[in-house]
Amino acid sequence: MVWKKSDDPPTHHPEPTPAPRPMTASAPTPSPAPTSAMNEPPRRSSTNATIGPSIFIKGDLSGEEDLVIEGRVEGKVDLKQNNVTIGKNGRVRADVFGKVVIIEGEVDGNVFAREQAILRQAGAIRGNITAPRVMLEDGSRFKGSIDMEAPKETGSGPSSRQNSDREANRPEATGVKATA
Amino acid sequence: MSWFSSRGSGPRKEQGRVQTEVEPDVHRSLALAALCEEIRRRKLQVLDLGSAVGSNVEFLSQYGCKLFIEDLYAALSSRAPGEGELAGPNFFAEFLSLPEDTRFDVVLAWDLFDYLQRKELAAFSEQLRNLTNRGALIFALVSYHKTIPAQPYRFRIKDEQHLIYERRTGADRPSPRLAPAEVTGLLKGFRVDRSFLLKHGIQEYLLVRE
Repeated sequence: MVWKKSDDPPTHHPEPTPAPRPMTASAPTPSPAPTSAMNEPPRRSSTNATIGPSIFIKGDLSGEEDLVIEGRVEGKVDLKQNNVTIGKNGRVRADVFGKVVIIEGEVDGNVFAREQAILRQAGAIRGNITAPRVMLEDGSRFKGSIDMEAPKETGSGPSSRQNSDREANRPEATGVKATA
Repeated sequence: MSWFSSRGSGPRKEQGRVQTEVEPDVHRSLALAALCEEIRRRKLQVLDLGSAVGSNVEFLSQYGCKLFIEDLYAALSSRAPGEGELAGPNFFAEFLSLPEDTRFDVVLAWDLFDYLQRKELAAFSEQLRNLTNRGALIFALVSYHKTIPAQPYRFRIKDEQHLIYERRTGADRPSPRLAPAEVTGLLKGFRVDRSFLLKHGIQEYLLVRE
């Protein structure tokens, strides 16, 4: 096992600060309850897997739980059904796939988020972002392109998305594995 | 990883007197309104030459654009001293080294033309010409004031008709005061589609690729 897995939230990771409300061209109206989940910043799950600051992984990472990367990863991070956070100490040279992808550290690669990509103030990306919603905080560094077209689902219609969400929320859906 | 230069956000040739920091100004933008009319119609590829501004990304997302952000001023600021006084064609080719089939429909140049020497602007326009489709639009703001901020403004799109101008430094530098004829003369292959002289001494341009 080359990463730390903990049931408790890691003490060295503060809870992400709430993301600023996105600015839109039209007058802002209060979001109805059903869409609020999209606007709320994703919270780190109590079953996060964490790659600690001293860990270096070269290879592909996949799994079925949320992941926080504080170490170095080179290869591919594939957690399409889960949230991926590149912490402040995280240095990733890889394409990153996730449901919500939060970047507080550095990513040299492409980011594909099924729901949202958030580049925090301290974060930096050199690569392309593909996500239906993208949030760049002021002060963040970004070089690349942003494609905000919703990624195509393999199944058609909203049901496939609901199914994949259900799949992601299965209590037994845990575990992250690294393939070198 | 060191691909973001720490010098990137610093001043390129900061000179002149220091002014007190002021609150950002909001100005009506007639060219932005015209540009939004154009880009509403189809999915476009947009090149933003300013720094990454979250609210602009959010704004442009409503048009379904594919947005490329390439911070020109940061790139100019991070040039090594040995690279010469002026940025030439090689610099701009490297700066916009994108996949060969990349073609932009809209270029957001903001006030960056004021921060290029005339020869640099001519060289840059050549690169832009190679990377744009016929009919592509450049949105640019040129100052008629004697001085401009030592670093480009950070522009935030407030809505389709208003821009927020945020100064990044209190220092000023002389303005090149590019006349309309100079703009079209230097940007070969582009012509002025629309131009608006605003009350606060800024000329807005929508240039179209011929």
